[in-house]
Amino acid sequence: MSMWAVVLVVGLLTFAIRYSFIGLFGRIAVPESLERALRYIAPAVLAALVLPAVIAPGGTFDPWNIFVPAAIGGGLAAWTTRSIGAAILVGMPILWVLQAAV
Amino acid sequence: MGTNEQSATWFDGVRAVSPILLGVVPFGLIFGVTSVSSGVPLVAAWASSFVIFAGASQIAIVEVLGGGGAPIVAIVTAVIINSRMLMYSADIGRYTTSEPLRTKFGIAYILTDQAYLVTANRFPDPRNARGFVAFYLAAGLTMWTGWQISTTTGFLVGAAIPEAWSLEFAIPLTFMALLTLAVKNKPQLIAAVVGGGVAVAALAMPYHLGLLVGTASGVVAGMLVESRLK
Repeated sequence: MSMWAVVLVVGLLTFAIRYSFIGLFGRIAVPESLERALRYIAPAVLAALVLPAVIAPGGTFDPWNIFVPAAIGGGLAAWTTRSIGAAILVGMPILWVLQAAV
Repeated sequence: MGTNEQSATWFDGVRAVSPILLGVVPFGLIFGVTSVSSGVPLVAAWASSFVIFAGASQIAIVEVLGGGGAPIVAIVTAVIINSRMLMYSADIGRYTTSEPLRTKFGIAYILTDQAYLVTANRFPDPRNARGFVAFYLAAGLTMWTGWQISTTTGFLVGAAIPEAWSLEFAIPLTFMALLTLAVKNKPQLIAAVVGGGVAVAALAMPYHLGLLVGTASGVVAGMLVESRLK
């Protein structure tokens, strides 16, 4: 049930974000300070999602676990090819090999 | 302003966004497959493709709730991720002043990074509002259709994939890929390092609150470094 509530609330708020300035007839520009903050949201929130999931899987800090090399490999692949699919195609096999080896 | 010109613009919009769709389809498949393996309620997760229609935030919700995080943390994280669309909305608003309310709602609902970016690239002048809107709607509807088909397929296929494949790891991998695309300069790198570092340091906080504390710290750090470099 709470998943449904989350989906509906986020759906409404996301629509409000998308409609905001379109509804304001484009007459009002984004304030400069907000525009500056928005530039750092993507890097900050993505790193805050990735890093704990990789170096502390299950909530306990463990920088030597097998997710770390798999994530580094996937990240390098995405960075060099500019593609999300490459991260999966490189990162998952690294994980599988390490799972089989360890 | 003939019908031919209008349909040509529609076609251009579909064609411009199609190569990008090739990258979105695997993302949609991953969302479906990982939702199945993460143990969240499946119909709600599937419905989020229609209700929210914003991939990174949909995956973040599955990640937070699947990992035992609080609903409010999932909501705030998703809204933070989607807040970047304020900027797109501000730009699109310059082109849509004379559109009826219904069209404005449609334009807002199908707003994505990809549809906005290809259209803004093609129609940089707000005086060509008609071309912008036709091209944008075609690109946006193409993205929408591709997203629904790929996520639905992911949910259908997901149940058949063995747990031993650890496919839920595709979620952090996807965010890792988005992260490498999002970091384009030094202040953004600092924002990422501080955001990730603080999130790890704050792991002991309940309800995944470290995620929000890390994000806020990263944004502030990025802005501070930017103003220092000026």
